[in-house]
Amino acid sequence: MTAMSDVTVLLLTFFMLTSTFLAKEPATVVTPPSVSEEKVQETNYVQVLVSPQGQVWLTMNNDTSANWSNEKMRMALLDKVSEIYNESHKNKVSFTPQQKLTFSKMGSFGVPLAQMGKFLDLAGNNLTSTQADKWLQGQGEPGQITGIPIDDNKDESRPNEFQMWMKALRQTDNENLANAIKDGTGVAIKADINTNYGTMHRVMDNLQTIHMNKFTLLTALKSGE
Amino acid sequence: MAEVQQDNGGGKGKNHQKKMTIRVDFTPMVDMNMLLITFFMLCTTMIKSQTLNIALPSNEKVDNVENMSQASADDAVTIILDAKRKVGSMAVDTVNGKVVNEVYYFFGKPLDGENPSDPATLQQHNNLQKSEFLADEVNSAGVPSARGIRKIIQERNKDVLKKIEELKKQFREGKIDQAKYDELAKQVRKDENLKKPVVIIKSTPEASYGALVEVLDEMQINSISKYQIDNMEKVDSLMLIDYQNKHRGK
Repeated sequence: MTAMSDVTVLLLTFFMLTSTFLAKEPATVVTPPSVSEEKVQETNYVQVLVSPQGQVWLTMNNDTSANWSNEKMRMALLDKVSEIYNESHKNKVSFTPQQKLTFSKMGSFGVPLAQMGKFLDLAGNNLTSTQADKWLQGQGEPGQITGIPIDDNKDESRPNEFQMWMKALRQTDNENLANAIKDGTGVAIKADINTNYGTMHRVMDNLQTIHMNKFTLLTALKSGE
Repeated sequence: MAEVQQDNGGGKGKNHQKKMTIRVDFTPMVDMNMLLITFFMLCTTMIKSQTLNIALPSNEKVDNVENMSQASADDAVTIILDAKRKVGSMAVDTVNGKVVNEVYYFFGKPLDGENPSDPATLQQHNNLQKSEFLADEVNSAGVPSARGIRKIIQERNKDVLKKIEELKKQFREGKIDQAKYDELAKQVRKDENLKKPVVIIKSTPEASYGALVEVLDEMQINSISKYQIDNMEKVDSLMLIDYQNKHRGK
């Protein structure tokens, strides 16, 4: 029995030290298998999660050892995106420091900017944060839209909200991320194997319109070949 | 370890105390550890995702077309992905709620460069052909041979693949190391003197994203250096519909 308990404790220690927890995502997707052996980059990329229904969410993966932590980056991103949004919309958005703080702690995010304030109020309060989770997963109350609004838009001067977010990512002072986006490793698209191509094409087309021609697709390891 | 022995030292004293052995039961602790291990095992991601790099062509208008590197019609291979349709309609046929992907291809220009607006020409010159995604077939000697769309691409890229195969052999025999192999393989793939195809990948909106990744995989497997994802054009759709009409019910 002693030996067994030793082994279990060792195993436990191993798993505790090596584990990185699965991040909670608004939609569960199964990425398609591929023979590509290139591993996903550790840091400095933004993951674009595309649900089979075509909703889009973003997740930041910054280099936490550098000056730009995820919190700081999200904070800067929200400022930048509301700036871009307010240039072209009559109904201006602005966020309180409390809301910004809540946003800086979000894992995946993606609600229309017009609803973002309400969403952050819900998420920031411990009593109502489960409601915010439900909202993000598309199980919220009627009118609570999840996913960043995205449509077929080829006009660069009038970006849709998804394009605003992506533009904002490039425009923050985080040079590491901006360079990564330029190199094509900064944007990773994660989508389900059964998503139809039309949906994927819309996302790729949106990126192409704002001159983000290089990006990566997240895939799973293919076995047997 | 799990027992504590009490010894009264010699045992020759007056009051003979019984030798006592205290056993500590470890079972609950092991149980709990096992539970924790199970928890951590289920919650961790050990396998990291793989990535495929994509570079879409710039959508900026090019002023001087002469400077563009144009693919000659001989080298062009167009691959069109589509979902399986229900017989007699355009509705997508699904199996267990999933679309079944189909892959079509043609060489050179669509309709051999003929005018697509005339239905008769369309039917006559439709050079679209159907293929399949198939894994390599391994014969009794254990030698794999490509089938389906892979075979077609391989056939078009045989010059490059032959050289790559030579490099692989050298690598296996230990004549060159991994870094050298990678470098040389890259040179071969980009070698302008070799005849190699330019693959254009198109897809209807109904096909699934999985099929796109599968085609991109084929590009990697077959060492294709020049490929791009492009939009469906009208002539492509016309050819596809014509093909499906011709082969209906088969």
